[in-house]
Amino acid sequence: MPRTSKPRFNWLGLGFMAPALIVVALFFLAPVIMTGLFAFTNMSTSTGITGGEYLLTQSNLRALENSGVSDETFETLSTTSYRVDEAGLARLAEQHNQATADEFRTLHGDTVFTARRDMERALKDLNQNRIRSTRDRKAAAELFTSSVLDERFVEETDFRAALANAGINDADHEILVTEAFTGWVWTTENVELLTSLSSSARYAMNTAIYVIFTLAFNVGFGLLLAISTFYLSPRVASSFRTIWFLPRVLPPVLYVLMWYWLTWDTGIISTFAGYFGFAPRNWMLDTATNAWVVIILINGFVGASLGMILFSSAIKAIPSSMLYASEVDGANRWQQVRYIILPQLRWPILFTSSYQTLSLLTSFEYILLATDGGPGGTTEVWALAAYHTALNNYGGNLQYGLGAAYALVLVIIGIITSLLYLRFFNFRELVSKPRIEN
Amino acid sequence: MQLKLNNFTKTFGEVTVIDGMDLTVNDGEMMALLGPSGCGKSTTLFTICGIHRMNGGDLHFGDRDVTHLPSQQRNVGVVFQNYALYPHMDIRDNIAFPLKVQKQDSATIKRKVNEIAELVHIPELLDRKPAQLSGGQQQRVALARALVRQPDVLLLDEPLANLDAKLRLEMRSEIRRIQLETGITAILVTHDQVEAMSMCDRIALMRDGKIEQLSEPSEMYNNPANTFVAGFLGNPPISFVNAQVAGGSFTFGDNTVAIAEALKPRVGGEVQLGIRPEHFGPQFGTGVTGKISFVETQGREDLYNVTLNSGGMIRSIQPAGERLKMGDAVSWGVSPEAVLAFDTSGDRL
Repeated sequence: MPRTSKPRFNWLGLGFMAPALIVVALFFLAPVIMTGLFAFTNMSTSTGITGGEYLLTQSNLRALENSGVSDETFETLSTTSYRVDEAGLARLAEQHNQATADEFRTLHGDTVFTARRDMERALKDLNQNRIRSTRDRKAAAELFTSSVLDERFVEETDFRAALANAGINDADHEILVTEAFTGWVWTTENVELLTSLSSSARYAMNTAIYVIFTLAFNVGFGLLLAISTFYLSPRVASSFRTIWFLPRVLPPVLYVLMWYWLTWDTGIISTFAGYFGFAPRNWMLDTATNAWVVIILINGFVGASLGMILFSSAIKAIPSSMLYASEVDGANRWQQVRYIILPQLRWPILFTSSYQTLSLLTSFEYILLATDGGPGGTTEVWALAAYHTALNNYGGNLQYGLGAAYALVLVIIGIITSLLYLRFFNFRELVSKPRIEN
Repeated sequence: MQLKLNNFTKTFGEVTVIDGMDLTVNDGEMMALLGPSGCGKSTTLFTICGIHRMNGGDLHFGDRDVTHLPSQQRNVGVVFQNYALYPHMDIRDNIAFPLKVQKQDSATIKRKVNEIAELVHIPELLDRKPAQLSGGQQQRVALARALVRQPDVLLLDEPLANLDAKLRLEMRSEIRRIQLETGITAILVTHDQVEAMSMCDRIALMRDGKIEQLSEPSEMYNNPANTFVAGFLGNPPISFVNAQVAGGSFTFGDNTVAIAEALKPRVGGEVQLGIRPEHFGPQFGTGVTGKISFVETQGREDLYNVTLNSGGMIRSIQPAGERLKMGDAVSWGVSPEAVLAFDTSGDRL
């Protein structure tokens, strides 16, 4: 053994750690950071996630009412005017000929027509180069439109120039530029929206119901299975455990499909109840209570199998002599469970509870597959709301920014509770040697 | 209370561990079940307390037939090898547990726990957790828990195996003291002959699921029924040599040992002699010659291995002093009265 007192930095160790570090960075740190960043943007389907252009539309103008933009600006923006400027003349020269353009300049240079009719008449009344066809005149008039409405500008400078060109008051430029930008921008309005929306409170409530009831079912049923299989012969016990493990190893889609068969109005329950004269009904989505019961059972049976395995092995870790001792001390089965087994499962129970709280907070796949938050949003939990907002909603405008803000709340809760758990469980004690003697 | 095990048979699957064993432990007696590992002594103990079920035979505590009772209803106290204290309860709750599951009232429980704690000398430890106790203290707690509800029988499964040498000595006398004070019928399972001899009234020496000999310690030491018993008891162990009976003495090679008068009618032809180390040495004259092949100083005594010129080896233990060296030639004698003679199949003659 080499005796070195100072800790050495070991490149080989870093090499072995590297894959883990990369995985942590890629699959934990990066998503968290991206969620944090996205949460403070207004990214959505309409803004895209790359840059944007400048485009003012009627709906923009409606949105700008009561925002302090002057009436004149509205007036200017909403009426199309025709300005005979060099740019327009150049376009005219290209479409017709230089002579027409030159004559038009001489007659109406720098004139602003506010009505299309006047503009067209001016074009018709050219002396030498009269544009005879109405269609051509209309097209020529278009060459001189100076409205910024419904015009796409790639650069901000072009847009500002157009605004100035249209004779809009400088004071209103800033607000128009902001409004007209079609890309995403940094903003805190997601946070404000989250705290002000009544649906947020409801999602939080739903999440609490979901986590508390599912957890209670998980741990309670897991304990029941672990303890009851402990007292069975090893062979029977292991086949029982295998059966109860099926929900976990089954693909979620298949598993939930089986629940459909069970609960739908043409499903097993309805058919069976039909023999007793009950009208068929959808036992999954008929009422909010139905939906909650089904969701808690679906998730519960999956979670209970994990609890069962953990608790079973924890019970097996109790030295058999301790169980024998309790028997010769006169304890019956119930007293043995109550006084010897359960107290020694305290840590596994606490650990399972806290671990599952964390995973339940962020899990929504079984709800998505079963009720998709229904009926009428009664089973929409926070994580599902985040998914719906950001990635899959009925309206079609996916609000990545708002969805990220929802997710960020879960990330923050998750990190805080993990830190609390680590402290509470005194991690060093957890990984040290168990106190139970063998 | 007398314990009576009748024609007890125990099998695990195909393997018969104990076949038709009879054992009676008298009221107030402490009986040792002694034997090498795998001899069935722990199986017997676990069957008596009801953890294992009997495959044949019956078991009585006094007049009560407990053969088919579960351990909860047998009223036995057991001290396990690892003490099996409940780690999540403090000592008071550990000791009180047998009373608590009987739903005795808390005042009675408290009184009884205090009494038993006094008896095993741990009243100051009652508020601690098992993990805060030394091995010897845990041992006392386990004894207290086993005794607190005044069981019919106290069963001790290798209670000293997990203790260091000094504590083992202390607890040996402590367990015996407590057993005598309470007058309880007790069975001690051990593989250590010294424990069995020093603590128990009688010893049942077991091999392969059978009791080879059941008698008081000194009787078993001085009067073993066969070579197995003779070889199991005694430290340093007995030495065996093969000899012929010729003209009133045992001869092996050029060595002769006189035959005691009482033994003469029973021996003839080929025999095995068992000679304990304290019965071979210069104080018994001469007649057995050899070279010293090993010397071990034990402080008060010296242990010598003497390799005989004719082959074979005899151990000798002598008061320290003379200090012979390895390779020294010796001619020592054997005390004729103390020689144990066995026939070729190992049974005592």
